[in-house]
Amino acid sequence: MAQLPPLENAPINLIGLRKEAQLDLVEALDSMRGRKLLVLDPKLSGPLTLIVQISLLKEHGVENLSHLSGDPIQSDCTNVIYIVRPHLTLMKLIAAQIQHDKRNQQERQYSLYFMPRRSTACEKVLEAEGVHGGITFGEYRMFPIPFDDDVLSLEHELVLKELQVDGDPTSLWDLALTINNLQSRFGLIPNVKGKGDAAKKVFSIMKKMQEEQALTTPEGQPEIDTLILLDRQVDLVTPMCSQLTYEGLVDEFLNINNGCVELDPAILGGDKKVKVPLNSSDKLYRDLRDLNFGVVGGILREKAASMKQDYTDVKTTNQEFSDLKKFVKKMHALPEMTRHIDISQYLTTFTRKRSFMSRLIMEQTLVEGQEYDICYEYIEEMINKQEPLISVLRLLVILSVTNNGLQKKHFDYFRFVELLQSYGWENLFFINDLERAGLLRKQESKSNWLTLKRGLRLVVSDTDDSNPKDISYAFSGYAPLSIRLVQHALHASGWRGIEDMMKLLPGATFEERQVKNRVKFKREKEKKSSVDGRRALVLVVFIGGVTFAEISALRFLSAQESMKHDVIVLTTKLCNGTSFLQSLQTNPLGG
Amino acid sequence: MAVSVAAEWSAIANRYYRKQEIYRMAWHNVELSGHKVACARFGGMIAIIRDDTKIVRLRSEPARPKLLIFRSSGLLVASITWDRPGGRLIAMGWSDEEILHCVMQDGSVFRYDVHGKLLPDKVWFGQECWDQGIMECIIWGNGIVCLTEANAVFCIPDLGSPQFVKLAQLTLEDPPHCMAIIEPQHTVSGSVEVLLAVESTVMVVDGGSIQDQGTTIGPLGKMVASPNGSYVACFTHDGRLLVVTSDFSKTISEFDTQSALPPEQLIWCGMDSVLLYSDDSVLMVGPYGDWTKYTYDEPVVLIPECDGVRILSNTFMEFLQRVPDTTVSIFSIGSTSPGAMLYDAYDHFAKRNAKADESIRMVGSSIPDAVEACIDAAGQEFRMELQDTLMRAAVYGRTFCRRFSKTRIRETCKTLRILNGVRDPNVGIPLTLQQLKVLTLPVLIERLVNEHKHLLAIRMSEYMGLSPETVVVHWAGAMITAATSVPDPELCNLLLEKLKMYSVSYAAIAAHAYRNGRRTLAALLLEHEPRSSEQVPLLTSMGEEEKALGKAIKSGDTDLVYFTLFHLWQKKSPSEFTRAVQDKPLARNLFIAYARQNEPDVLKKFFASIGQLHRVGELLLWEAWAQSKNPVTRQGSPLQGPRIRLIEEAQRLFSHSKEHDFEAKACDEQARLLKIQQELEAKTGKAIFVDTSVSDTIRTCIVLKNHREAQRIRVEFKVVPDKRFYWLKVLALAYIKDWDALEKFSKERRPPVGFKPFVEACLQEGQTSEALKYIQKLSDPEEKAEAYAQAGMAKEAAEVAAQAKDSEILGRLKLTFGQSTTAAALFDSIRDRLSLQGG
Repeated sequence: MAQLPPLENAPINLIGLRKEAQLDLVEALDSMRGRKLLVLDPKLSGPLTLIVQISLLKEHGVENLSHLSGDPIQSDCTNVIYIVRPHLTLMKLIAAQIQHDKRNQQERQYSLYFMPRRSTACEKVLEAEGVHGGITFGEYRMFPIPFDDDVLSLEHELVLKELQVDGDPTSLWDLALTINNLQSRFGLIPNVKGKGDAAKKVFSIMKKMQEEQALTTPEGQPEIDTLILLDRQVDLVTPMCSQLTYEGLVDEFLNINNGCVELDPAILGGDKKVKVPLNSSDKLYRDLRDLNFGVVGGILREKAASMKQDYTDVKTTNQEFSDLKKFVKKMHALPEMTRHIDISQYLTTFTRKRSFMSRLIMEQTLVEGQEYDICYEYIEEMINKQEPLISVLRLLVILSVTNNGLQKKHFDYFRFVELLQSYGWENLFFINDLERAGLLRKQESKSNWLTLKRGLRLVVSDTDDSNPKDISYAFSGYAPLSIRLVQHALHASGWRGIEDMMKLLPGATFEERQVKNRVKFKREKEKKSSVDGRRALVLVVFIGGVTFAEISALRFLSAQESMKHDVIVLTTKLCNGTSFLQSLQTNPLGG
Repeated sequence: MAVSVAAEWSAIANRYYRKQEIYRMAWHNVELSGHKVACARFGGMIAIIRDDTKIVRLRSEPARPKLLIFRSSGLLVASITWDRPGGRLIAMGWSDEEILHCVMQDGSVFRYDVHGKLLPDKVWFGQECWDQGIMECIIWGNGIVCLTEANAVFCIPDLGSPQFVKLAQLTLEDPPHCMAIIEPQHTVSGSVEVLLAVESTVMVVDGGSIQDQGTTIGPLGKMVASPNGSYVACFTHDGRLLVVTSDFSKTISEFDTQSALPPEQLIWCGMDSVLLYSDDSVLMVGPYGDWTKYTYDEPVVLIPECDGVRILSNTFMEFLQRVPDTTVSIFSIGSTSPGAMLYDAYDHFAKRNAKADESIRMVGSSIPDAVEACIDAAGQEFRMELQDTLMRAAVYGRTFCRRFSKTRIRETCKTLRILNGVRDPNVGIPLTLQQLKVLTLPVLIERLVNEHKHLLAIRMSEYMGLSPETVVVHWAGAMITAATSVPDPELCNLLLEKLKMYSVSYAAIAAHAYRNGRRTLAALLLEHEPRSSEQVPLLTSMGEEEKALGKAIKSGDTDLVYFTLFHLWQKKSPSEFTRAVQDKPLARNLFIAYARQNEPDVLKKFFASIGQLHRVGELLLWEAWAQSKNPVTRQGSPLQGPRIRLIEEAQRLFSHSKEHDFEAKACDEQARLLKIQQELEAKTGKAIFVDTSVSDTIRTCIVLKNHREAQRIRVEFKVVPDKRFYWLKVLALAYIKDWDALEKFSKERRPPVGFKPFVEACLQEGQTSEALKYIQKLSDPEEKAEAYAQAGMAKEAAEVAAQAKDSEILGRLKLTFGQSTTAAALFDSIRDRLSLQGG
């Protein structure tokens, strides 16, 4: 069981937030007396490990923990608590389990907690299956899960699919509620900016909620100064690009799940897989995570060398105890150091490959938007070699988005001839869904990518990776569009300064102020001028997911001298290009 | 203040009791004798009806009895002709909610509100009771217990949800002498206990058991439990009044009344004295056997309250209570308590008498106690002029205090205003301060609104800082009920004019309007409800589903949309449903998402009805795909038949519109592919073909060395491009390590993909020697150098790179060979050479 992230250095009280989430969970567990079986939505168990430790569950009578599946309940516990997201497919599984118990005359009490709230549609399914009456229902409120001092996530991976493919905006409602809950904790956020239709919708739901039920906010200065809502639809290119920061690469090749990476014995040695938590409690990782991977090796080497020097010093010269103590303290960091050396060495085996290099060149060519033919050729060869479908699609999506769609002949050719014939006809659904989500389209009008590229300086060449000047370091030359927008939003002139560019990007743009009431607003304004030295806190919300490299770029931004802002990220899901596309892949048997 | 206040008190042992007239009854010609009278607690309503069991001389009244409801001050609220069936009226009593419960002989219970309106829900004690007939009945604040002619005991334990239960059955030959109850809040079990005096003992009956208390104090003619349930006052057959603990284990006090006839009424006054009423006199017996007697020249009814007893007669309402301690300390004759001194001082002060100064000096440092005493005593008073004097005395005293909480005085003044307000005969609720504390202000306000004293209620709410919402909502409801003839828009405006001033739940008011058949009004009111979660369910239940759907969609709350969708779906015909949903994207999408999982057939019909045949096609394909994933339908080729049919049907649907050419073509191809795969599986006897892609199928054929089939498939799906076929075949051949075939294939003709795939395939399988054959044929020096490097041949790689004069490759190659220093040196030397040449 991994340790919970410490969160001590968070700019707002995230420990309190987590504590409340714990208490709510405990309350749900205590709603049933005695020992019980906890059945979790498989998608929830990971995130929940970031909120509570198993020992706490045990203290509250959880004897067994299992994942909801098609199999019947294997336990003699007579109390069963389900905690699930309100997804229709899960209801059938629950119904099947209860029906199985009924057939076997196994008497049990069932409690069903929906996270974040009860759903009429789900209960309808249970009703149709004839098990609704035997269940006690409850709600486990949604809390944003703190992954680190500056990262919160709802870990809702189906936002994109539900929203863009099914046209079901439930997740936006949930997100609006989450943000309003944050506001009732940390104060009404005075500045709100947003880009994209989903962003607009979230903000309008937030306002409607406040209209219906007055938001009670704490007295005094709000802790968060600015809220930036970004719809992922505004920037679909960035998540498709290979992340080149240390953390990003670890995620691309080893997959970071719920703040942990699972390492093979081949990487670390030993004889079984090890789960390693990756967050700022690991000081070395905190220093390395946001750097371009190109410089990580050098830094590790330097650190190792200095340690070696210390070691020889200790051996050869007579030293004071205090020096020895310093040395021993340094030695404590040794396991972390070896671990990161092992990981980065492992990553090098991928990054040194010619195929990786040529892929990066291809991505670069695509975002430059100058030459498409060699890209088509390259992608075709990938398909011919039967490289993984998702990996092919990541490039195709960049091609489609930057080019405002594929030309008709290419569109049909890739769609049909190449993808279906090579990867199977069932991908017809996948491709259709990609099309609905705006990721893969037929070209209908000219692309304005080149204007955007120029206007927003999306390609910044000759970066010095070890001493970057621009966020483009995170993708070795490509400045992530999403983060560029944040950068402009925090600029004195705001988005008005780049109005022309904003118009070219999809969806609505808005910049508004929220005020409690006029009198107070005045007073706040006066106050503000007196505490000018304070760094303002910005909450950046990504609707549809965000990648690690983007977060790194944001951290880089806030570390710049000219910046007077601290940044905290709230996303619906931490993702990378692969998991982003996978979330659209469906399975006919549920999901 | 001519007469001393204390002159009206009567002393029992060391305690004083006082009896004050509260009201002179406003009614006329009401005769309590020969009538059943029920008075609600806490100064509530009085219900009177002629007692059928008694002979009464009718004056000018009609023969049919009338049920009359009065305020405590005797103002008539309602008068209704009694025409209820069910035999004799056994008992009548008010619940805590001020609902009058009338228990009939046959076990039915009729309920009336304070306005004499019969409540519709049916309450009864069941068939068994109906058969046996009720003999006796006790009604308390939240329940009813009854004893049948067959000595069975039934109970309705909660009037909020009136379900009857039968208590433990006892077998008795004769009916019990008398019955009493201990209310559930005072029993250990938490359910009501019924005490029955049987022979010389007492039986305690509750839900599950009968317990004989084994006492011999009986036979008892009358029993009653004390207000806190811990004692029982009993009147024995030989005329003694006993107070015993409620488990009958100990006798606390005994008093001989010297009359064997049980009293008409036996009642506790507060916690420490008992009242017996018989023959126009009320005998009060204190805890130590001391007593006093009040005689009346007309019949009275005793009404127990938590801090005393109200006495109702034909002409007045009195309150009998133990005199509160502070009042005693101020007013008892010759008292020198600080309170009394202060009161005296103020008396002088008010008369502009200089003795005031002397008196206040005598109070000395106890001034705060004195002020406190006066405030407290003021709160206990019914007479306003006395309240006034006491409060003035308190304020006078406070000027001599260094610190005395101002709020204490203010709060008491406020409370007194409330008390005086409700004591007004027009309101007629004679509460004491103590009673108000027990009853609580919100309950009092609720009572006021039930009695339609809305203006007073809202003034009180605002005065005491309570939310006016309950009052306003009730007022609006009452308005709607009353104003049956006012047209909807007019009434709506009338209501809004007032409602605007408060933030209230419009939905609750609209719901009331709807229940009263004012649909249009309800709809008008709902427009003003800001909370969609309140608005939508009501609109749905009003049958305004489509409007509800619109509001739900606007709210952005998908759960509300689902809620209305399910209602629509249940109530409307499929075509109506389709029409309602069709042009609302959100509703349509949500319905589709739900139906896709749970009602695929309904969804197919839905799509067909809105002319989206391709969506039906998608669903069919989806089914076919699901079959392929399902282990049962997957196994065995013959079962592929239904899948193919599904796919072909889907193709037919797709081909209806040109836009879906792509899908149609894909279906056609898939159907053909499945057939071929089925054949292949039959031929090879290997179940490895079905559900793989065209490319996979070709590769599998090559791996199985069935080149003819591979070629056939390629021709069948002629779209397979040359390049891809080459890659497939090369990789497949390398996979089965058929190097000869690979070489032969490379020589068939110049490969359209070049020799790169050959090199990569060999290297992938670790065949460097085979790879070399093809590396040499590579034309691009960069590719060549790279290939050499991959094959681990650093020197060759370096040389090729050098020929190409490409130092970028060299740099990368050096990294690849980084571990080996000799190789690194080699690259460096070559690069040096290059740069020299370049320079």
